[in-house]
Amino acid sequence: MAVPAHSATAIFGLPSVWLAVTILLAVYAVIMVEKFNRAVLSLLGACIMVLSGVLTQEQAIHGIDFNTIGLLTGMMVIVAISQKTGMFQYVAIRSAKAVKGEPWGVLTMLSVVTAIFSAFLDNVTTVLLIAPVTLLITDALNIKPYPFLFSEILASNMGGTATLIGDPPNIMIGSQAGLSFYDFLVNLAPIIPVIFVVTMGCIWLIFGRQLHATDEARELIMEFNEHEALKDIPLLKKSLLVLGLVLIGFTCAHGLGLEPATIAMFGAALLLLLQSWEHDLESKNHDFEGVMAEVEWTTILFFVGLFIIVTGAEHTGVIKLLAAELLELTAGDFDNTVAAVLWTSALASALIDNIPFVATMIPMIEDMAPTFGGEEALRPLWWALALGACLGGNGSLIGASANLIVAGFSQRAGHPIAFLTFMKHAFLLMVLSIVISHLYIAIRYL
Amino acid sequence: MFASKIMTTEVITCRPDQPVREVVDLLVAKHLRVIPVVDDNGKLVGSINTLSILNRIVPEYIVTGDLKSVPFAPDIGLLRKHFKALEDGGKQACDIMERNPTKVHEHESLLSVTAALITYDRFEYVLVVDHDDTLLGVISSGDILRALYAASPSDIERV
Repeated sequence: MAVPAHSATAIFGLPSVWLAVTILLAVYAVIMVEKFNRAVLSLLGACIMVLSGVLTQEQAIHGIDFNTIGLLTGMMVIVAISQKTGMFQYVAIRSAKAVKGEPWGVLTMLSVVTAIFSAFLDNVTTVLLIAPVTLLITDALNIKPYPFLFSEILASNMGGTATLIGDPPNIMIGSQAGLSFYDFLVNLAPIIPVIFVVTMGCIWLIFGRQLHATDEARELIMEFNEHEALKDIPLLKKSLLVLGLVLIGFTCAHGLGLEPATIAMFGAALLLLLQSWEHDLESKNHDFEGVMAEVEWTTILFFVGLFIIVTGAEHTGVIKLLAAELLELTAGDFDNTVAAVLWTSALASALIDNIPFVATMIPMIEDMAPTFGGEEALRPLWWALALGACLGGNGSLIGASANLIVAGFSQRAGHPIAFLTFMKHAFLLMVLSIVISHLYIAIRYL
Repeated sequence: MFASKIMTTEVITCRPDQPVREVVDLLVAKHLRVIPVVDDNGKLVGSINTLSILNRIVPEYIVTGDLKSVPFAPDIGLLRKHFKALEDGGKQACDIMERNPTKVHEHESLLSVTAALITYDRFEYVLVVDHDDTLLGVISSGDILRALYAASPSDIERV
């Protein structure tokens, strides 16, 4: 008979609980130092979990959530192909022209565009597409890009909160808690516009009033020709077709008993097939390899390692212990537990990577099901985790990868964003968004 | 055929401490594509070429490839602004030069020079130096083509 993993004594004579916790904390700590590639660290930690005997290889592989991996990879492929069409630049320029180059209008439009794109694409991808165009537009307007980039960072994290596919924490939560695209749309999407409008109001008070551009500069914006941005019309049609199919698929998937990963991977395969339909085999292979090179393997392999590490900790029973600890702190009261999850997630995500945090929180919340009367009753806790972890990313410059990417752009353009300058405004706006979320959850679910 | 046989030896150079404005004047006035930067001992320390100057005045987000092409953008006056800033910024040749220009030695074969040009360089010339890095001359892609064109078949066989 197999020995249960949590009672096994692993190598070095250490109890497996301590080994698993040490590996988990060590990996998280080294990730925070930001001196190494995080995928390498998480894969290394995952291997040590197996090598040291905390998990068997089979248990480790079983711990990987392939629904999350498939959804992420599929969406990355679809975006990698469709961004080549220039449609994102087209929308950004179009929106800047729609408000006749008036700076506050441009800022609002670009933020709305960022939020909407972020709801359906990866946040990092969204800012990678929008930030360079923003710098070009602010250069043309001859005004400082900081308020624009600040607003786009916040918008990308807010937009990402709204849907199942908007932000990796949501993908994980949806996949592991069995929540559908539609569930997220009905439960999270309604509050995001409220938070967005309030946040934009504050940004207007902080920066908006002082934005000013000359008439000549605004004329320049009107001279941008967005149609020139659309480089490949046939590919644009194929991309829009596949994006449309995938969105319909996401909305209907649950009812058909399909997982989102199936939809995303099908969309990816279909677009890979269509993108070079007319070409010969050699250039088809070349196009395929080009797309593969653009997929963010760091993120995907980071997830793979992380799932194994968290599974290791789960097997030793330490996560159950943490869940019990939290329940004790909140005295088993559901309202308090929801509040604790929301605020802890928000504060933690402002300072550490929200992906490992959420990966650890998910099994913890699952362990609370018996206390609160089953899986169904846990739903408000999932929404609290999603809102906290995604919006919390706005709390500081290191709160989300998208924030750091924008900061990098800004620095290269000669306008470095200081950590504290950003935090001064962003942290308060993050807290405000969590207050609104708290009210929303309290009114709707508690 | 050796590098030293086809190189141009009358090369206009500049000193590392020469103001950028003077270097740009030289590039424009003499229709040059490259000016080697040479110290007082005749040693090659870098090179300035037309492309590297353009590289410095194009916005960073275009140089890094974040925004690969901007067919939709009008002339927003950025290049002129940055160019003026570069000229008036009080910078010296050593501040803006390429620190690792493609170099070949005087005795290298035509094949080797051509390989260096094709594989290493984003520019259309290589700089010829001796073993002490003293600048001896410049070879452009045109020089190679002309050498091949002018050479008799027996010359080429010897290569």
